[in-house]
Amino acid sequence: MTDGDYDYLIKLLALGDSGVGKTTFLYRYTDNKFNPKFITTVGIDFREKRVVYNSQGPDGSSGKAFKVHLQLWDTAGQERFRSLTTAFFRDAMGFLLMFDLTSQQSFLNVRNWMSQLQANAYCENPDIVLIGNKADLPDQREVNERQARDLADKYGIPYFETSAATGQNVEKAVETLLDLIMKRMEQCVEKTQVPGTANGGNSGKLDGEKSAEKKCAC
Amino acid sequence: MTQEINLNSLKELEREVILQVLYRDQKVQNIEEERIRNLKTHLQNLRWKGVKSTDQDCRGESCARCQRALGLLLNRGAVCRGCSYRVCAECRVFLRKTRAWKCTVCFEDRNVKIKSGQWFFEERAKKFPTEGKHETAGAKLLQSYQKLSKISVVPPTPPPQSENQCCGQTGLQELGQFKGFNKSVENLFLSVTTHMKKLSKSQNDMISDKHRLTTGHRQSAGRTERRSQSDTAINATRKVSSSDILISLNQEDPKHSPDPVLKQERVSSSPDVCPLFSGDLRHGSLISINSTCTEMGNFDNANVTGEIEFAIRYCFETHSLEICIKACKNLAYGEEKKKKCNPYVKIYLLPDRSSQGKRKTRVQKNTTDPTFQETLKYQVDPAQLAARRLQVSVWHLGVLTRRVFLGEVLIPLATWDFGDSATQAFHWYPLRPKVRPGLGLPILREPHPQPNNGTGDQPSLNGQLCLVVLGAKNLPVRSDGTLNSFVKGCLTLPDQQKLRLKSPVLKKQACPQWKHSFVFNNVTTSQLKQSSLELTVWDQAIFGMSDRLLGRARLGSKEEAAGGTDSCSPSLQWQKVLSNPNLWTDVTLILH
Repeated sequence: MTDGDYDYLIKLLALGDSGVGKTTFLYRYTDNKFNPKFITTVGIDFREKRVVYNSQGPDGSSGKAFKVHLQLWDTAGQERFRSLTTAFFRDAMGFLLMFDLTSQQSFLNVRNWMSQLQANAYCENPDIVLIGNKADLPDQREVNERQARDLADKYGIPYFETSAATGQNVEKAVETLLDLIMKRMEQCVEKTQVPGTANGGNSGKLDGEKSAEKKCAC
Repeated sequence: MTQEINLNSLKELEREVILQVLYRDQKVQNIEEERIRNLKTHLQNLRWKGVKSTDQDCRGESCARCQRALGLLLNRGAVCRGCSYRVCAECRVFLRKTRAWKCTVCFEDRNVKIKSGQWFFEERAKKFPTEGKHETAGAKLLQSYQKLSKISVVPPTPPPQSENQCCGQTGLQELGQFKGFNKSVENLFLSVTTHMKKLSKSQNDMISDKHRLTTGHRQSAGRTERRSQSDTAINATRKVSSSDILISLNQEDPKHSPDPVLKQERVSSSPDVCPLFSGDLRHGSLISINSTCTEMGNFDNANVTGEIEFAIRYCFETHSLEICIKACKNLAYGEEKKKKCNPYVKIYLLPDRSSQGKRKTRVQKNTTDPTFQETLKYQVDPAQLAARRLQVSVWHLGVLTRRVFLGEVLIPLATWDFGDSATQAFHWYPLRPKVRPGLGLPILREPHPQPNNGTGDQPSLNGQLCLVVLGAKNLPVRSDGTLNSFVKGCLTLPDQQKLRLKSPVLKKQACPQWKHSFVFNNVTTSQLKQSSLELTVWDQAIFGMSDRLLGRARLGSKEEAAGGTDSCSPSLQWQKVLSNPNLWTDVTLILH
């Protein structure tokens, strides 16, 4: 994976409390493997993966296929690395905001992570996916789906319950985020280049989304 | 966001781990930058295809993109919404399933914007307008770390400007290898040497310099030569590197225009580039960051071993020079420790070192005996050939897209018999280390006290005179056989204004090698013609006594002021310096 034969470099970043499973989540995504051992991440790390992204037309038909090089940044959840990790927020185009379904506290902290994002990410309303990890441990569950989904709705972001151990929803969560970013990309360029052409409907939807997210941010 | 983050608060092991991550990131970034450059080159090519139309001022009659003539009734063309040029039906790209279209250039422009991540940087700039547009947190961290470690690594004043420009590579390498002083000095040396080479003139000079140089002087020479870079030299470095390192190093100058046309102008205005391949002159600066790096000396050196096999042919009908690179054998490992070698071959027709004069083969992976079987071509007039030298160099493409020099072959084409079939056959040529030009220690013939002034005198556009005082020999020493010597330089201008500079003191050395650079700013060539330069060598006194004058020497127009020998009068040497602006002139002076 050392050549430049790709169409997009997309940088994603996983964040959330220590021990929610960011590293194992990314490991599952990139290598499709699971490491049950807890090894705390030192500061920052990243993994890479090449994927093929099929852009979809407005009518849902499949369009062109693009090679996407994903750089998935993994951050330490520990407080003492906070200033280091938040510095990397500004380089990411999308975020995997993770909490542990078996830890109420990690879920409560999602709010704090959101405000960190708002302060440090490249824009006020970046693309985020909320991820409740460790869905394979239903008997230890402390956060119910309703709660989490409500929070995600409040922020206007997608929510997934995943398991790095089984691989459940892992790809789907990342792909959803990638999809959001690819759409935003197009919109950003259309917006600046050809104001008010054929994509009027689309950009209207974007504005709607934006205002919804902004409201929640306050 | 403006908070200073650095790695100092972390434990050493943690720092190591994070640095490793940052290097990996740097690698990803480098690949990305190269990719973006290619994208932009492609876009630029598209643009240029249509350039003629504005020159000919017949915008309405031919397609602005492909130059095809447009009819009055049929194939009339239509105006692109993006650029307002009239383009033919072929040069339109319909946006996904809609009837809206853009011309090929506008479409590609949009593509580049998306694919290069420019949309992201633009969005981010809205939120953080004061911060570097393209710089990543990782790059920033590495840089700040590098600055910190620099302090302990390189004691003598490095010029800050060029530092910023090449830290992306040089710094990284220092960090990566932790070889400290020697290593970094080596790099600095190389970075200057290759620059010098640009300034250097003929093969003869280079070869003789090669003989003069001894390895013992090499490393320390590097240090001062680095310092001896004149402002013009630094500017030249900037010219190239700022245009090429588009992404990560723009923090210094947020307004820096990434407009490729501008860059092109900058590069072609550089006096040393002598493009002969007019066909693609325009794309020159856009093509390669790597050769810029390597030309700027941003590379590692391996012990040169092995041979390269190639053939040279010239077709007098088509004026095409073909260099067929067949293979190499017994190459040195690019990375000795890891036993890694990903070799490729690069050629130039010297003295043209511009990127449009560069040809490269593919990179072969993991071999010290690569087979290339690639033919690299030039279009050259037969008349031009005599003035050219073919430089065939072998490089290793390392991690962090770092280049390691594996050896080179230089072939003067003047004496090459292109008509002879024997010379056209494949031959094995032994690879040789880089020829190190310029600024060597001049050959010493005179037996008596003399400072050896490798005088790089460069009356430049900005009007600047640079000289590097290398060292002195046979000075009258103290009773203990040593000296604490230093050099004063005094440039007397026609209006009797004196510009004075001083070197640091070298303690306890009988044969001091200061290798110190003196830079006299804001002097014009016409001023210099009537100026004189006096160099005095002093022994620093202890306890407030006055310093002892060991000798003085002059370079200048006034014959009476000059104490010269018959063979090389200072006045003649001064003339030589003045008549060769932007070239280094080696001078040896006798002290009186």
